[in-house]
Amino acid sequence: MSEAAVAHGHDEHHQGGFVSTYLFSMDHKMIGKQFLLMSLFMMIIGGLLALMVRWQLAYPEQPVPGLGWVPEPYLYEGIIPPETYNMLFTMHATIMIFFVVIPILVGAFGNFLIPLMIGTRDMAFPVLNMLSFWIAAFAGVLMISSFFVEGGAAAGGWTAYAPLSAAEVYTGVGLGQDLWIVSLVVLGISSMMGSINYITTVINMRAPGMTMFRMPLVIWSLFITATLLLLALPELTAAMAMLLFDRRFGTSFFLPETGGEPILWQHLFWFFGHPEVYILILPAMGVASEILAVFARKPIFGYRAMAVAMIAIAFLGWVVWGHHMFQSGMNPTMGMAFMTTTMVIAVPSAIKTFNWLGTLWGGSITFQTPMLHALAFVSMFVIGGLSGIYMAATPVDIFIHDTYFIVGHIHYVVFGGSVFAIFGAVSYWFPKMYGRMMNEALGKIHFFGTLVFFNLTFFPMHIIGVGGHMRRIYNPLQYEFLQPLQHWNEIMTIGAIGLGLFQIVFAVNFFWSMFAGAKAPQNPWNANTLEWEAPTPPPHGNFIEIPTVYRGPYEYSVPGMKEDWLPQAQPGTGVGVAH
Amino acid sequence: MLPWLPENISTYGGEIDSLFMLIFWITTIVFVAVQGALIWFLFKYRAQPGRRATYSHGNNTLEIAWTIAPSIILVVLALLSRATWDEIKAEIPPHDVTVRVYAKQFNWDFIYPGPDGAFDTADDKTIENELTVPVNKVVKLEMLSRDVIHSLFVPVLRFKQDTMPGRQIDGWFEATKTGEYEIPCAELCGFGHSGMLGHLKVLSDQDYATWVGEQWSN
Amino acid sequence: MSRATNTAAVHDLPREEPLRALHVVPRKGGRGGPPSRSLKVSNARVAVAMLLVAETMFFAGLIGAYLVFRVGSVAWPPPGLPALPLGVTWVNTVLLAISGVTMFAALRGIRRGDEAVLRRGLLWTALLGGVFVVVQGSEWVGLVRHGLQLSSGPYGGTFYTLIGMHAAHVVGAMGWVFFVFAMARRRAYTAKAHDAVEACAIYWWYVCVLWAALFALVYH
Repeated sequence: MSEAAVAHGHDEHHQGGFVSTYLFSMDHKMIGKQFLLMSLFMMIIGGLLALMVRWQLAYPEQPVPGLGWVPEPYLYEGIIPPETYNMLFTMHATIMIFFVVIPILVGAFGNFLIPLMIGTRDMAFPVLNMLSFWIAAFAGVLMISSFFVEGGAAAGGWTAYAPLSAAEVYTGVGLGQDLWIVSLVVLGISSMMGSINYITTVINMRAPGMTMFRMPLVIWSLFITATLLLLALPELTAAMAMLLFDRRFGTSFFLPETGGEPILWQHLFWFFGHPEVYILILPAMGVASEILAVFARKPIFGYRAMAVAMIAIAFLGWVVWGHHMFQSGMNPTMGMAFMTTTMVIAVPSAIKTFNWLGTLWGGSITFQTPMLHALAFVSMFVIGGLSGIYMAATPVDIFIHDTYFIVGHIHYVVFGGSVFAIFGAVSYWFPKMYGRMMNEALGKIHFFGTLVFFNLTFFPMHIIGVGGHMRRIYNPLQYEFLQPLQHWNEIMTIGAIGLGLFQIVFAVNFFWSMFAGAKAPQNPWNANTLEWEAPTPPPHGNFIEIPTVYRGPYEYSVPGMKEDWLPQAQPGTGVGVAH
Repeated sequence: MLPWLPENISTYGGEIDSLFMLIFWITTIVFVAVQGALIWFLFKYRAQPGRRATYSHGNNTLEIAWTIAPSIILVVLALLSRATWDEIKAEIPPHDVTVRVYAKQFNWDFIYPGPDGAFDTADDKTIENELTVPVNKVVKLEMLSRDVIHSLFVPVLRFKQDTMPGRQIDGWFEATKTGEYEIPCAELCGFGHSGMLGHLKVLSDQDYATWVGEQWSN
Repeated sequence: MSRATNTAAVHDLPREEPLRALHVVPRKGGRGGPPSRSLKVSNARVAVAMLLVAETMFFAGLIGAYLVFRVGSVAWPPPGLPALPLGVTWVNTVLLAISGVTMFAALRGIRRGDEAVLRRGLLWTALLGGVFVVVQGSEWVGLVRHGLQLSSGPYGGTFYTLIGMHAAHVVGAMGWVFFVFAMARRRAYTAKAHDAVEACAIYWWYVCVLWAALFALVYH
């Protein structure tokens, strides 16, 4: 189809009714918003599960306030039994990773931003795109429904280590674990459709002049993430199929009594699982790069180094999976090899951090809400990156493996990193998504509250981890050596409650601004990238006329120009063509 | 030494702890430097009327420098880790006592070979949740599991090893102080994971001999 | 400052950066894609290539597990379990190879604009695929009678899982072929526009090549 024909086709859709506009829309922007709303809803569920986990750790076996009505065997007059506790942390992690962070960063912002930022009217395959959302939504329904079947939801940890996960007899969870497996397989299909769409779109549909090395870093990050998803998820799907067959059809892939290999599951899982970690953080890095450049009014420092560092991460991500398994009984020589690759993969992350600092250096920085979140991303990601070095050093890992140290680490990367980037992305692109500005005062209240309570919740995890506090335990008071650390558990729980309360501010701001926020101008942040060339909010088909790209995305404060920004689509004068 | 780190009573625990502290100081210095630079930049380069941001796309010398510097630090850390890792995990030194550990939902079975020194004989003795060892002697553990994966964790020994059903994994330690310590399970193993708790009793040579005498007297 | 979109002539474009090959190279007798910029590789081709990458990772996971067990076991097949039938599987392999050829004939037909050849080729392809699946089914019935089941340890589990997943892919590919056939009857394809046929053909060949690899690996 020619672009004109595409635009024409879209116009027809645009006049469609409610169902084709809001439900089965094939407009990438609407699909992006659908992903965003679904994931924000799932975030509430995941967050409430986490609060129950925190309650139990701080006040073991005391009734959760307000939950006395929950029937047995989930809760006993508000008291969380160990079976339910295992479900809570398993489902918290599963939901947050698979149904919140990936769908927001990749599903929502990948969808919304890719066509707008590379200058095309829609994804390469709009129908596939729509299907990808509804399949993901179906996977979400399956996952949530697993709470309500006999035996409850999966309770073997989000890593589902076999044989615990491979036979009902070990956990008492039957259909719930099966639904967990099927849901993730279904979600994998959705992700595969999305990834194919993103990759094809980025390769084939860039606007004239938009070379690969003129793409904004967030598009690079989404492109690389899509590639990782495409490679990693099918391999997980294979592992999930084997696990399901072990559970239901009598095979013995992971069950040792009949010749299976439990450690095989860990290899298969982490071969997917480590690229998965980068799937969670790479788009966040891209988002932060966009926001930092715009609000520092500076070209991104070392654009090519940033892109190459992400490519390096994407390659190295495949040879580090064993660092999750240092204490698994894997051959110690392999432990050495994995330690070396793990140390190597820390380098690109360091490069990116220094380049973000370089971007701020000499800038003219303003502190609106998106920028605050992007700065918090850098700051928190540094903590998460540095705490990772402890685990990479194999002898130290002997002690801190499976303690709260690692729980702290992952939350600094995924919450401190990805979720701050998500808040930054929402507030930065909200004007383009909904045509209105978010409230700045509420945004700042939400930001500072979140930053303070985030650190109050997660930093002490390093401390109790150093004290030897195991992860996934139900009641720390059962251990004498953990009792002196118990006050930290209470502090963290208070932090978590505060963190949860401040998210209400975000929800209010989000929905209030959607309907009653100040009307957004076309380019509220004076940014260079192509999405700001489109009308606000962009119509179906995005651009009145497809823009032509003359330069890289970060030409801010070009000397000799009156304005301090030089959009990618502004016809060139020879100025600012450095990229 | 960080106040939260449990006491160390094993021969190799000190090496782990000093590696830990080395990383602690490296990461603390990097942390302070990076966050300090961040805050300083935010203050110094805040938007001010009449000042324009510097137009710069980067600096290749700097890129090379901050690629090489972390690489060197990390390579050194890897090399330092190597020796300790090999000492602890690669080979079991000559040992005085061998105990077989069978983990199961939700207990530790410690099996002693008895006077004949061989397992799977009539004088084997299984003791639930209590590992009794002599002080200053190398103890070899042969670890197995009857059902799911567990992880034998002795914080004071800096010892942690998953036990895997279907295969035997060996480990070792040498305790340097007598006393009674906790042995939690560190790998999620089901609803009773929390509270799967054994105790390590480190006895003096004399007490250990007495204990052995009591166990195999009849 | 006017920053409306523009219609600058091509010679105004600033210098091109590397990776140009990925996007604008005109092609003789182009095969679809937006005519505004004739693409070297059409969207459909890129997408199907990506799909194959994903499928390869899926089977890499299964094959990896298979190899772990096969390399790690003393006797393969383990004592008491039947060896896999080679003769009938060779015949089956040849059938699938022929289906690859008929698919090629179908594609060549539509490239010349001959829709009858396209339809005939598609039908033969699906038919051969169907025979392949039926023969394999009967082979499984025989193996089950000889005591090889899903629950026969890793030997049985890996065999049925790996080969069964492939069979499922053959059935899925047949569905795709039938879909293309139905569209062909509605005259959806021409010599110039038949990306969907090409994508389907590439997928079919992939399933054939995958079979060759599995046959060599699992049956020998």
